[in-house]
Amino acid sequence: VSAYLVVGLVGLTLTTFVARSGFWLLPNRVKLPATVQQALRFAPACALAAIIAPTLFTVDGTPSASWTDYRLYGTVAATLVFVRWRNMIAAICVGMAVFTVLRVVYA
Amino acid sequence: MRARLATMNPANDPGGANLSAAPSGAVIRPWPRQWVPALDRSAVRTGLADIAGPAVGITAWGLVTGVALVQGGLPVSAALLMTFIVYAGSAQLATLPLLVGGEPLPIVWVTALLVNLRFVIFAAATRHHATHLTVRQRLLTGYLFGDLPFALFMRRHGDDDLHGTPTHWGHVFGTSGVAWLVWQVASVVGIVLGDALPPEWRIDLAATLALICVLIPMMLAPRTAKGRQHVHVSDRVWSALPTLTGVCVTGGVSVATIIWPMRLGLVPAIAAGVAVAVVLSHWRVGPTEGSAVTA
Repeated sequence: VSAYLVVGLVGLTLTTFVARSGFWLLPNRVKLPATVQQALRFAPACALAAIIAPTLFTVDGTPSASWTDYRLYGTVAATLVFVRWRNMIAAICVGMAVFTVLRVVYA
Repeated sequence: MRARLATMNPANDPGGANLSAAPSGAVIRPWPRQWVPALDRSAVRTGLADIAGPAVGITAWGLVTGVALVQGGLPVSAALLMTFIVYAGSAQLATLPLLVGGEPLPIVWVTALLVNLRFVIFAAATRHHATHLTVRQRLLTGYLFGDLPFALFMRRHGDDDLHGTPTHWGHVFGTSGVAWLVWQVASVVGIVLGDALPPEWRIDLAATLALICVLIPMMLAPRTAKGRQHVHVSDRVWSALPTLTGVCVTGGVSVATIIWPMRLGLVPAIAAGVAVAVVLSHWRVGPTEGSAVTA
């Protein structure tokens, strides 16, 4: 394992501690202002979107959305399944199945 | 005695007649003593029972994460190390493309912090329980206290009058211990499995799909205090609007700024999305309050 990865992973472990235990370590008089609480509520969703969107809509570091990118169909299928049934395993299986069928058929 | 009072109070057992939650009075001090608070033995058992069903979901999530880490391009050794020490599934998957791409570590860490910010909200909601713990106990307990144990804890003990008793920590460590163990085993199996699968299967797509499954509930189901009341569909869409818009803004900006060096575009992307969501949630306060009362 490279030094980059080791340092990166140790740092990530610290972020887990900071996020989960950090607030418990602050003195009790420290309160979260309402605006900060709101921002905290939206930040995780936005952070995930900031990772998901480029994964799906960029290729080799440039924006790209193509009808022949079968991952997108798999993603749409998985999203629909999850919204309807709230079952992650089913959503991932359906999404991967749609992608794999399209990939094999149109290869 | 405190533990006894905490579970004798009927308000503490919203699940109804739950005899398994009755205190045995036996308080255990598991190793390592300085890191683990005193636990009520019967509360540990209640926690084990509560986590049994959700453990299936943790298994699947761990498997997917393990497979995705390796298929995403992480060496097996790094994937194992990550699983053992980082212990935050969505942050692991979110930082995976950044780590594999060799992006600057501060960007990686900030991304993980942002994805993990929901835990700050969890910690704020449970801090009155933690005031009796030592610093080391707070560190270890918080580290192990993930999404599912938190949700199960709030369901069972969210309205308790007493806080931070051995009953509470027994439940937390019962659920969290199982969650940790199941997660580690499933992840290792996933890592071994992922190493054997051919890359053209694009199993890394499963990681993106898993993140979407984490993202959707954040958008569609704003947490209510308890007792999910029936809400009309239009109200649910309406209440999801700020997060939904914020997510779209963030997605658009993050794609548009992908050519920026070192993934620095993540910062304005997330900031813009959060700002739009906060503004929208203020803007819609008037109409939803009226409709929420009648719903």
